[in-house]
Amino acid sequence: MVRNSIQRRLIATVIVSQTLLAAGLLFTGVFYTHRRLLSTLDAGMQARAMSVAALVRYTEDASGNVYFDNTLMPDSLDPGHPDLFAVWTERSGLLTRSSNWPLGLQIPPQGAYNRWVTAGGKIEYRVLRVSGVPVLDREEGMSFRPQTLTIVYAAPSFSMRRQTWLAAEIIAVASLFLLAVTVPLALWGIRRGLLPLQHLADQAALVSANHWQLRLPEDAQQIAELRPLTESMTTMLARLQHSFAQQREFLGNAAHELKTPVAVLKSTLQSLQHRPRSSDEYRAGLEQCLEDLDRLEQLLQWMLRLARAEQWAQGAIRRDLQVINVAATCEEAVERIRPLAQTHNATIHVSGNETVLLRADPEDLQLVWINLLENAVRYSPEGGSVEVAIMRNNSGPARVIFEDHGVGIPAADLPHIFERFYRGDPSRTRATGGFGLGLAIAKALVEAYGGTITAASAPGQGTRMTVELPLGSQ
Amino acid sequence: MRVLIVEDEPRLAENIARSLRESAGFAVDVATDGQEGLFLAESNVYDAVLLDLMLPKLDGMQLLTRIRQAGHRTPVLVVTARDDKESVVALLNAGADDYLTKPFDLGELLARTKALIRRGKGQPSPVLTIGDLELNAVSRTVQRAGKYVALTAMEYRVLEYLAHRPRAVVSKTELLEHLYDYNWEKFSNVIEVYISGLRRKLNDGSARQLIHTVRGQGYILQD
Repeated sequence: MVRNSIQRRLIATVIVSQTLLAAGLLFTGVFYTHRRLLSTLDAGMQARAMSVAALVRYTEDASGNVYFDNTLMPDSLDPGHPDLFAVWTERSGLLTRSSNWPLGLQIPPQGAYNRWVTAGGKIEYRVLRVSGVPVLDREEGMSFRPQTLTIVYAAPSFSMRRQTWLAAEIIAVASLFLLAVTVPLALWGIRRGLLPLQHLADQAALVSANHWQLRLPEDAQQIAELRPLTESMTTMLARLQHSFAQQREFLGNAAHELKTPVAVLKSTLQSLQHRPRSSDEYRAGLEQCLEDLDRLEQLLQWMLRLARAEQWAQGAIRRDLQVINVAATCEEAVERIRPLAQTHNATIHVSGNETVLLRADPEDLQLVWINLLENAVRYSPEGGSVEVAIMRNNSGPARVIFEDHGVGIPAADLPHIFERFYRGDPSRTRATGGFGLGLAIAKALVEAYGGTITAASAPGQGTRMTVELPLGSQ
Repeated sequence: MRVLIVEDEPRLAENIARSLRESAGFAVDVATDGQEGLFLAESNVYDAVLLDLMLPKLDGMQLLTRIRQAGHRTPVLVVTARDDKESVVALLNAGADDYLTKPFDLGELLARTKALIRRGKGQPSPVLTIGDLELNAVSRTVQRAGKYVALTAMEYRVLEYLAHRPRAVVSKTELLEHLYDYNWEKFSNVIEVYISGLRRKLNDGSARQLIHTVRGQGYILQD
């Protein structure tokens, strides 16, 4: 059950953002319209207040007193008009009020803009106060100080409110219309945009253990966002294919290697069966079979060891590691190899300038050393010597070097000696009892510890194997 | 008959050799690497070569190519651990006559070797007839005029070789080469003993001589 869908999320995001956008548009539209209407209304009221101010005149007696000249009242201020006004003079207070001024309405001459609502709540008035207005009527040679007026002017604001609502309605309808058009468009765009992902998934579904090729769809390759995905898919597939091929190769190699010992065993038994034998012949035959079985068993053990080492190198198994002394494991390995060295009359010298400690399974390291020592001893001339040097370079990795002075490895074989079942010269290896697995196991184990193993050889002069193991966290 | 085994696993070579000696009465030589194998195969005295592919020094495929290039007609049976179609086809195309995959059945190996030897000598049937003489190479029995003739192992081997090359002159040296392992020279005088023994047993109750001596050249088996 799929709970989350990118498509659904994107659609939800589009719808929400579109709705928010519409709401924002509506709000700003209404706000702006309201402000514009308000300032228009104020400008009109201001103009009308000025025309009221123009009706205030000085008396002829040069006393500096003023009167309100009703006779010149403009049409806009006739008694039927809903606008209200009141004029105060600085010297004598209230001068006049419009004839329709409601009884009992008190609007003081001080204060800022204000609202006033009629008793029934029917009509809302906007109130404007203009103070410090000079009396416009002036004559030449005035001997008195000019008076200033304060005018309170109120006009109903319901038309403004109505217009604001109208604007809001228009914007809302337009937004809804836009939403209705853009949402399906966005849906279509999202579906189309996600199509390459679908194509990529279709192609990825075709990948299998037998078909590793991922054919990247054209459209998916064109999309920048998909590039990291396609790239990592390609590299992941390459890695998988590699390890798969390795497994398959190992299986093939193993089966191939098992065939010969099985053939030996089978032919021994069949030749026993060919005709009646004496009991001595049977006994000899059985002994031979047991020897052949031993060899087969050994081969199986080596293969299992390698498989385990490789599994571990790939991180499939974790083990408890302990801090061990490299030199100590080396000494133990030398002890274990001593019988073989004695048959070759070979001497082994271990040298080390300091104690090197690292975290490892001592069995693993011993196995690595034994494999390397065994090779060194086997390919040493009669009475030869093998040198083992344990070093540590300041903060660098621990380094263990195995050097023999034997036949060396031909340059053509050198790059392959760590491959499983690789035998440069099968006769030599078979004669020395190897299966071509020792070095592969050593390599897998060293790599499991994050180390490296390298070989250098000069044919006829000897071989030098260098193992480097990171000291890591002890 | 003399067979060369080129096989680097000594145990396996030993088993095959013993089986060829015991069950087929063949002389067998074993080479443990490709170079030795090539050297022996080129002496051209073998009636068949059993060849392993994974060989030190010179691998089986190269050895095969080399002896075929040199014009040797010896039948070659390849014993291989590989059984994929490509390598089998490549083998046969390189001049191998047959192949067997490991682990094989010894009986099958014997039968195939014998069949290859017969074919190599132009004798498709395991029952060889010369006049009233009948030699069965499978049961290793000989009849003259319908009556079984009891032969010693060596007598049978001489007759078998002659029967595979009827009406051809076979020298004493050729017989020796094909009947003994490589140290045959010390047996050089015994051929005459076997031939006279054979003549005596085959002519029992019949006047017609089948094995003729060609003076200074060798023997010929014909009616």
